[in-house]
Amino acid sequence: MSVLNYFDLYFKLISAGVRAQLQYRFAFVMRIVGLITSYTGTALTMWIMLYQFQELGSWTLYEMLFLFAVSVLSWGFCIILFFHFRGLDTYILNGTFDRFLVRPINPFFHFMAMKFDVASFGQFIFSIGIFTLVSFKLQLDWTMGKSLFLLLSVVGGILIQGGLLVMISALAFWTTKSEQFYWVGMFPARNLTNYPLVIYPKAVQWFTAFVIPFGFVNYFPAAVLLEKETPFFPENIGYYSPLVGIVFFAIAYSIWMLGLKRYKSTGS
Amino acid sequence: MFRFRLYWTFTKKAFLRSAVYRFDVWSRLGSNLIFLLMWGSIWTALYAGREEAGGVSFESMLTYIVVSQFLTGVNGAGTPLWEIQEKVRTGDISLELMRPFDVPLRYLFADFGSVAFYILTALLPLYTVMFIFMDLTLPSGWETWALFIVSAFIGFLIRYCIEMSFGLLSFFLVETGGIVDVFYFAMSLLSGSVIPLWFFPGWLETMAIYLPFQGIYYIPNAIFIGKISGAEILLSLGVQLFWVAASYLLLRFVWNRASQKVVVQGG
Repeated sequence: MSVLNYFDLYFKLISAGVRAQLQYRFAFVMRIVGLITSYTGTALTMWIMLYQFQELGSWTLYEMLFLFAVSVLSWGFCIILFFHFRGLDTYILNGTFDRFLVRPINPFFHFMAMKFDVASFGQFIFSIGIFTLVSFKLQLDWTMGKSLFLLLSVVGGILIQGGLLVMISALAFWTTKSEQFYWVGMFPARNLTNYPLVIYPKAVQWFTAFVIPFGFVNYFPAAVLLEKETPFFPENIGYYSPLVGIVFFAIAYSIWMLGLKRYKSTGS
Repeated sequence: MFRFRLYWTFTKKAFLRSAVYRFDVWSRLGSNLIFLLMWGSIWTALYAGREEAGGVSFESMLTYIVVSQFLTGVNGAGTPLWEIQEKVRTGDISLELMRPFDVPLRYLFADFGSVAFYILTALLPLYTVMFIFMDLTLPSGWETWALFIVSAFIGFLIRYCIEMSFGLLSFFLVETGGIVDVFYFAMSLLSGSVIPLWFFPGWLETMAIYLPFQGIYYIPNAIFIGKISGAEILLSLGVQLFWVAASYLLLRFVWNRASQKVVVQGG
């Protein structure tokens, strides 16, 4: 099948999913309200923190909110595309994963297109709200170049976080566990990046730059856009964010495919 | 009539069950430590080399965060809320309603078991090492230790009653996401679990003081580092006792309404 066919198929599959979710209008609204509340909660926590102390590792409140919003925006897309990957273990254990293998399309693609979580509108509303507020407060000048760079780093962020979700789900092929790895590993690690990495011990900063490249999701790109320094790292390292995303995702995809080869059905 | 031996069985069973699934239990430590790293780094950066801020030394502040993260581990080791909500959604809860015990109490006693296992095998060894190797302050007298443990225990009960009351809303609503998120937000911020109340803006501090959440983390933490001392401790424990009574009544009220209204989906 050609790439174009895949696009067409993706939209067909997800539009069915979206329509299904919109049937439960109350649940849909409640989830968005819930998401916006918890993000606003984190923003409020930052505000209280800096109410007494003014700055955190030379980052001011609005700069931190910007940093946070970059991460929330890419995470919103990530939820749409990849969030359900963490639940691969359930499919394997129940034997329902087999249905992704018996169709004439790429199983990775099929699994990816299975779900489309519309609640991510919560992330979009929140991050766009914060971008507007911060641009106004810090009088950011959104030139074409800067806007394009933000867009590309968001894509980078999607690929990095999505790649990690894909890697976590691939673990299910070997260990029949994945959801748990997300909650004890990736969920808290993502929370670390809500704050500027400069405050963490150097080893942690290196790890989040070069092993699990979370730093390229928001810290490095935000530093470029806000013209802030990133101690211990080369200047403008943030420009590599899209590239890092592509490489990291390619690695994740290969690992997933490797795991798939190893997969044996439960036979149930 | 309260049949202690019956409920104690649930405690023992939960303890043994945790022992069977010990790797799942211990893996939670990873998450706990990452959050400790995060809040420890944040407060180190906020103090930025200052010896003290707001009348509290850096050492005490760091101790506050470590104790808080310890208690977060304790409070998160019981039956997760979604598991109970799932039982309501699938109708499995009806099996428990038929049995001759009180469901909220049964889960509380089961939580005692799993929390005890987690404390003894994971939290206590790890945090003991941390207190040995880091510059943290310990309470000076055994009375403070005792009062801290009492206060933390009451805090645990307050958290259980409120969290369970929110969880039981799934008897009335199919989707509780939004409401539960508001609760978790209130619990993390207004309880002082990550920012102590004395650093709040005045109006918010006043608000937090009149809410039950401070009894979960702020009061035990502040007793531990000696920010609350002397007669003030007794007053704070009184406030906690008031809130544990109030939240218990809330739980009973919600539970009574909920069990009257069991709508098992699909029959």
